[in-house]
Amino acid sequence: MNALLPFAVLIWPLLLGLVPAVPRWRPHALWILPLAPLPALGLALAGAPGAIFLPDLLLGVHLAAVPGGALYLGMTALVWAAAGVHAALTLPPGPKAGALTGFWCLTLAGNLGVFLAGDVVTFYLAFAAVSLAAWFLVVHERTKKALAAGKLYITLAILGEAALLIGLMIGAAAAEDLRVSSVRAALPDAPLGPFGIAALLVGFGIKAGMIPLHLWLPVAHPAAPVPGSAVLSGAIVKAGLIGMILFIPVASGWGSLLVVAGLIGAFAAALWGLTQQDPKAVLAYSTVSQMGLLLTLVGAGSSHVAFYALHHGLAKAAMFLCVGVVAAAATPRARLLTLTIAGIMALSVSGFPLSGGALAKLASKEGLSDPLVLALTLSSMTTTLVLGWFMLRLARHHATRGHRPVWPGLFAGAAFLAALALLVPWFLWERVTGLQGTYPLGQANILAGLWPVMLGLVAVAVLRARAMPSYPPGDLLALLEMLRARLILVQKAAPQSRRNFTIGHRRRILRILLRSRRADSFFQPWPHAGFLLTVVTLAFAISIWLPN
Amino acid sequence: MSAALPVLILLTSLVPAGVTFFLAQDSHSLRNGLNLGGAILKLGLIGWMLFSVAGGASYEAILPLAPGLVMLLRVDALALLFISLSATLWFLTTIYAIAYFGTKAELSRFFGFFSLCVAATTGLALSGSLISFFIFFELLTLSTWPLVAHKQDKPSLSAARLYLVYALPGSAALLWAIIWLESATGPVLFTDPPDLSVLEPGALRAIFALFIIGVGVKAAIVPLHGWLPAAMAAPAPVSALLHAVAVVKAGAFGVVRIIYDVFGAANVVALGVGVPLAVLASATIIWGSLRALQQDEIKKRLAFSTVSQVSYIVLGAALASPLAMIGGLVHLIHQGLMKITLFFCAGIYDERAGVRTIAGLNGLGPRMPWTSACFSLGALGMIGLPPLAGFVSKFYLGLGGLDAGAPWVLGVLVASTLLNAAYFLPLLYRLWFLPAAEDATGDERAPALVGPAVVTALATLGVGLLAASPISPLGWATLIVTREYGP
Repeated sequence: MNALLPFAVLIWPLLLGLVPAVPRWRPHALWILPLAPLPALGLALAGAPGAIFLPDLLLGVHLAAVPGGALYLGMTALVWAAAGVHAALTLPPGPKAGALTGFWCLTLAGNLGVFLAGDVVTFYLAFAAVSLAAWFLVVHERTKKALAAGKLYITLAILGEAALLIGLMIGAAAAEDLRVSSVRAALPDAPLGPFGIAALLVGFGIKAGMIPLHLWLPVAHPAAPVPGSAVLSGAIVKAGLIGMILFIPVASGWGSLLVVAGLIGAFAAALWGLTQQDPKAVLAYSTVSQMGLLLTLVGAGSSHVAFYALHHGLAKAAMFLCVGVVAAAATPRARLLTLTIAGIMALSVSGFPLSGGALAKLASKEGLSDPLVLALTLSSMTTTLVLGWFMLRLARHHATRGHRPVWPGLFAGAAFLAALALLVPWFLWERVTGLQGTYPLGQANILAGLWPVMLGLVAVAVLRARAMPSYPPGDLLALLEMLRARLILVQKAAPQSRRNFTIGHRRRILRILLRSRRADSFFQPWPHAGFLLTVVTLAFAISIWLPN
Repeated sequence: MSAALPVLILLTSLVPAGVTFFLAQDSHSLRNGLNLGGAILKLGLIGWMLFSVAGGASYEAILPLAPGLVMLLRVDALALLFISLSATLWFLTTIYAIAYFGTKAELSRFFGFFSLCVAATTGLALSGSLISFFIFFELLTLSTWPLVAHKQDKPSLSAARLYLVYALPGSAALLWAIIWLESATGPVLFTDPPDLSVLEPGALRAIFALFIIGVGVKAAIVPLHGWLPAAMAAPAPVSALLHAVAVVKAGAFGVVRIIYDVFGAANVVALGVGVPLAVLASATIIWGSLRALQQDEIKKRLAFSTVSQVSYIVLGAALASPLAMIGGLVHLIHQGLMKITLFFCAGIYDERAGVRTIAGLNGLGPRMPWTSACFSLGALGMIGLPPLAGFVSKFYLGLGGLDAGAPWVLGVLVASTLLNAAYFLPLLYRLWFLPAAEDATGDERAPALVGPAVVTALATLGVGLLAASPISPLGWATLIVTREYGP
């Protein structure tokens, strides 16, 4: 019976996802969202037991929790459940909500699947589900902004899938086996190993928001409805993280690459977040920054990545939900309460002593080299800075009309996640880290947590008085767009003869397509057919004669 | 019994074909009963044979045609793979065609040639020697022509003419190759590969090239594909059968037979002809996708997509590695299921909503949910999204390419995946997301049209989801490769 548990965890949301297909059930379908992740939560609380092999399914499905699986599964289930409540309370029922419900459940099943997959095909399937179905979360509002964000999202997601497929096929061909452990072992020495690993790095990097593949994050998060952004930022990005952990051989040079890319992301994204006005965009940059830290930990071979990811997932989802809660707050008191919760979460993510985040930071510093420990400590400062900026933006976030009666329910969801983010690390501390329960209370540890946050807060106070530059979300993308606008200006100013030097790539593609059309129309009139047959015979004969 | 069975299977399509020609136009129930009855009988026979061939049995029938010239019908695992596909899809297409045509004119002619076409495909699959293969190959060419020309309007007639202009020289090349080869080695039986050492390598390469030209026209390998997009003028059931089972599949099946049963995989590698063919197939895959991208008509886009997808099978055969061959063989089935779903749906859009162009698809999803859901499944399968059928073939082809020392195949597969996404996803977006035109009409109150599409769409999902089970197409393809071409 135990063996079937992982399977049930995945099947349950898929079955629930079919509910809105029945027109009569559709109006209340949103209320199944909080139920969908419950079996996964149960599995996590039981310590993620069970392993099953289903030989007839796909190319043979192995299901078992990945290392640290209980932590990932528990965090994912909690984030999805809380976001589900928020969605059911705020989103208007209708056909749009029906579609969202179905694909929400599919995305959830994929998100849980990446933590349970034991073979590469199941993993690829789960990854495709979480990656592609999440598009429906991004475009849910159907506004121009949401559709544009969706386009960027789906383009990068499909490119990521393609890269992933290359990497996994190279690994599977070398391993002559589909189990994740064999593929991982075979990849470094495979004939095209480095190429395959690089492809995997791109595929997972896109999902995990690794710089410079993070472009979609700050564009998609603000475009999605609040519960959608919460799961995207809290849980879905972790699919990329687990991919890195499962497949990238960090013992070789690839580990250093992850450390460097991660550190750049950790600091650069936090600072760039200060140029954003939308609180959700600021949070998105904070996610890129925190994912950078996580990638650094993966690259350095830290054994407490899951512990850190658990706290970040819960806290970040709570903060995203707070954006929705503030918007629904009717009274100043409700507003203040919400801002307090968000502020406590911001401090926790920054690593304020004795918070859940501080514990996560302390655990992850175990066994790291000194420069990395210093970098981690310094990152607390930039995190405080960007999240302080988030608080300033959130305080100015205006309430929207509607949904006000449901404020207590919304608040309860965010507060629940926030409480978990603060307490669960304490609860798990001894079991996960093996360190003493009093270790976080040590004076040195408290000081090491305190000073970067304080310095960060001072910087926030200074910043508050100054006008910050403001850029649209999507940094590199926005820069590219600006560069293109400049080029067009230059082009217009240039004399006629030199105008062609920046023909858009679109036009070039069009020209190639036009040519292929002209070429293909050659095959249609039939006097050409006989001629073609002769030419092909000759050409083919020559081409296979030539080698000898 | 074992000698009668192959003949019996052939007769289940040949007899309805012969009788249907002489039926009056308005004896609908007799004609429909005859055709459906034949199809059901055939399915039953095939089901029984699948069971016994899996257990190791084989069936053979020898029919003397002329002194020294025998027709050999033989049921092996590869033949069964192809006829189970053609029998299943023939049955579904017959139901679809009966509903599609209703009481239109010239139905006896149509169904007669329709059954003849299927009989030819069955014979082709059962052929145990080169000469029987050629006979059925020609029968297929000739019985398809009236189907393409069925509407008898100008585009249909010119498309049918173009088809012959491509097909007949192709047949000539095939005949030339057979005569050249058999004059040196004697009659070629597929069970008993000919001794090729009597011929010069140069001559063998030329024979191989002629063979590939001969079957390549039907398999629509670029640049011999010109007839296929033009043949879109035919009615929807014909296109469905043409693209999924009959003509292009016969070509692809021919490539497999020639590489594995006439030349032998080892000889193909030794002669160095596998790689040029794989390159040609890859070029076809890319070219077909590029052209599909530019089409505004649904059926034309699907036609170019066929050009591209059928070459997956050729690619799998040409790579001459066991895994790639499994991928190619299983794509024979998978592409058939996905493509027939798409064509069924295209026909429904045309019949029930009057929509032929891609722009007309806007907002049809909520109005025709079953059809559009089937179309979406087929399209996503073509892109190669797991757990649908297309993913399984692609995965095996990729592994096979790496296995055969041709890692560039990965690049081709990925490029094809991206191009497929580029030309199918906008269709799905239009179906489900864009608002419908104000004067849009359309419903799907036609269970006999929608039913077959639902069945094939579910099969597209099923064969991928249960790929590893022994009774799946993948299980059968693996059995063929391990049993007959052994590792």
